[in-house]
Amino acid sequence: MTSTTAMDRLRAAARDHRAYVEQWRVRHPGRPVVGVTPMNFPREIVLAAGALPVVIPDDQRPVGEGRAYLPEFYCGFTRNLADQAATGRLGHYDAILLADHCIQLLGASDVARALGARTPVFFGMLISSLSDSWAPARITEMMGQFRAEAERLTSAPVTDGALRAAIAAYNADRALLRQVFDARAAGDATWSPADLQDLVASALIMDPVEHHALLAEALAGIGPAARDDRVRVHLSGHLCHAPRRELLEVIEDCGAVVVDDDLWTGRRYVQSNVPLEEGGDPMEAIARWYAERNTRLPCPTRVQHDADWDSWLVDAVRRSGAEAVVHLMPKFCEPHMFLYPELRKALDAAGIPQLLVETEHEGIPLESFRTRLEALVERALRRRPAYA
Amino acid sequence: MTATTTADRSNRLAITRVGGQMIADYWEDLFVAREQGRKIVWYNGGALNPMFQAAGLAWCHGEAFAARLAAQHLEGPAQLAGAEYGYNAELCSYSRTHLGCAVLTLQGTKEPESGVVGLHDRADLASRLPAPDFFVNNYAGCSTGQQWDEVSFRVFGKQVPIFNVSHPFLWGNKPDAGYLSGEEWESASKYVRDQLVELIGFLEAQVGRPFDYDRLSESMTYIKRAAELRREGLDLCKATPAPATFWDWIACVAPINFLPGNQALVDYFQGVKDEIQDRLATGVSGVQDERYRLYFDGIMNWNKLGFLARKFADHGAAVVAGRYIQNAFWQEPQLIDTSDPLLGMAQHYLLCPTNHGNKTLEYLTLRDCREYDVDGIVFHSTRTCRAFTGPQRLLAKAARDQLGIPSIFFEGDVADASFYKEEILDSRLVAMLEAIDIARERGDHKLAGAGATVVGSS
Ligand code: SF4
Ligand code: SF4
Repeated sequence: MTSTTAMDRLRAAARDHRAYVEQWRVRHPGRPVVGVTPMNFPREIVLAAGALPVVIPDDQRPVGEGRAYLPEFYCGFTRNLADQAATGRLGHYDAILLADHCIQLLGASDVARALGARTPVFFGMLISSLSDSWAPARITEMMGQFRAEAERLTSAPVTDGALRAAIAAYNADRALLRQVFDARAAGDATWSPADLQDLVASALIMDPVEHHALLAEALAGIGPAARDDRVRVHLSGHLCHAPRRELLEVIEDCGAVVVDDDLWTGRRYVQSNVPLEEGGDPMEAIARWYAERNTRLPCPTRVQHDADWDSWLVDAVRRSGAEAVVHLMPKFCEPHMFLYPELRKALDAAGIPQLLVETEHEGIPLESFRTRLEALVERALRRRPAYA
Repeated sequence: MTATTTADRSNRLAITRVGGQMIADYWEDLFVAREQGRKIVWYNGGALNPMFQAAGLAWCHGEAFAARLAAQHLEGPAQLAGAEYGYNAELCSYSRTHLGCAVLTLQGTKEPESGVVGLHDRADLASRLPAPDFFVNNYAGCSTGQQWDEVSFRVFGKQVPIFNVSHPFLWGNKPDAGYLSGEEWESASKYVRDQLVELIGFLEAQVGRPFDYDRLSESMTYIKRAAELRREGLDLCKATPAPATFWDWIACVAPINFLPGNQALVDYFQGVKDEIQDRLATGVSGVQDERYRLYFDGIMNWNKLGFLARKFADHGAAVVAGRYIQNAFWQEPQLIDTSDPLLGMAQHYLLCPTNHGNKTLEYLTLRDCREYDVDGIVFHSTRTCRAFTGPQRLLAKAARDQLGIPSIFFEGDVADASFYKEEILDSRLVAMLEAIDIARERGDHKLAGAGATVVGSS
């Protein structure tokens, strides 16, 4: 198999997760497929139970029947989720598990529960206020509930050995992806943002061992490629679901090159590994992963007084040498709306040009986006030293 | 169906004017608290005021202050300041208004930096709110509520201490899960109670003296009695015609939600109940010539309280119950043990009407529709409150499928008047009342919704 076919397979899983699930079922008869909602569910526990945990994606189809179940002022991802529920497009999951309590996600999940009578929807709320002294104990308790639920769903015990193997598999996959992101931030221009998104989006769907093997194959013998002198930008935000590929393509089409990001279908997913030490307790390690994750890349859906997305962003920009930031904010995403003024302030103070783009599920007018982006590129170019 | 649009057919309880004065006095007292040497806490979510009262603090409930500004049509300057700071208009308008107040309050303590609001506005409105000495967040159900205080904390430069109470969402995973019952309810209650004990430690550290448990019991004794009277008053409103309406109870939200627990509070709710009882005895109703009994789902549109009361009354429609009244604000006083009130308090915080999964909300809504003999439901599609609006379509479907009750949706917001759509409410309300008339003529008046589409739900 060539690296092209490996990439094709990753791309195919990223873009048609239902087909991947079908193939997986054929290869693993009798084993359940569990949909988990973004962004914090510990998939390791479900994998260790012998099931395939798929992070439910926005399938990018227009919202039709779902409109009868959620208001139009919910974010595109949750409206799409309600639409998937209303039209039976969640039917390929044997169960749905949630750990995040964004109110919009809960609204959509309750629609899935009400309409999908045969698909259990389990919500174990991971504490989101992470500075509290009782947070670690609470996280451990909830991870235990997830383990019990995974055992109940699969009627099989989740052993420590299986947990260790699952942790190792996801860690290896995320670490390899992280290498790609780090290389990009350091100057490698091999991957376009749309390709990179496919690499991560497929990781959110696939079995991690299979994903890692294909990823390794896709990376073998490729790059590094030198970056040209387009304006270096950092993409920020877009929680829970992928931005439209067209948007990513336009960015690189009008004089910018993406050098880093903190998107969910980007660095946000790959940023941290489960810190399992030799001989350590795997459940404890999973709990620590969640407890510490927000310090590695702060998320506005969490409340943690010493984790600052704004200063993380400024530092990330300095690390990668980005010359501008494009905020991709899904329309109606409240956690992002809340933190945006802080991001703006910090970038302004650091003298970093920025552009806010509100994305809509049904797509945004690309031409007006292009015009605004070109203006940002101009601004960034004017800031370059005259001799450059 | 006939509608008189000239005379005001709403007949509001006279006693609510007394409540209005109590509330005005409360705010005036808060505005001078710092000069009087009291520490000030800003908080959101469940009614922690008895804790603050026991700790000798002055307290500002963020949602209440935003609601008050909106009810007085004074929210503009704060919302403008929030917008200039960068808050998107689609963000919860309570939080936007309150964060705008935070921005103005901060500017009031420094040299004015912004040209958005004139000095006069700042002096008169939001900046009268004294800056907090610390924050406490107690938001159940809505993730926005928790994020809001974290952002306030950041707007104040992370210099003001903050305490968070985390509330499990009552999702109902297990088969035994139900309203006030099941293992999930029990364990969540205990978990939140334990956090209240931690909160007491935090309060002690902030005020520098031991917490006064006796004072808490005393305050909760008054609040429990007031809540019982409120419940009894609500039960009296099951009568046909209803002696008082949802709008009267909306006017009673502030007293039960954040006024101090004391004899005056009990007297007030005794007065409310007495007036309702008098009306029953003398045959006076909350709406002249009541023809329809409606349920109101959604958080209040504070810009439009009197206006909506008159509008519905104009059509002979008594709004007799609603999620924001029957299922909120110390609504289960029997849970409170006044000698050891923390558990009952924790349980009420968990009973926030946005903290239930759809199954429980369906149970509560259908129960209230039956008990109050409701003909139709009005859903306030509160533009920036996703917590209230999320389950509404499922609730409409359940009411239609299980009780044959029709419903309408109208657009508005908690504290941003620009989202209110007058024509939509008018036309949909008329259509629903006509459907009820037609069903009555057919002799099956509680089946007006059977098979009918919900008006304006998509
Ligand atoms: S965090 Fe934002 S994108 Fe994710 S579900 Fe909530 S509103 Fe939607
Ligand atoms: S969205 Fe609604 S429930 Fe949430 S904080 Fe705002 S007003 Fe409260």
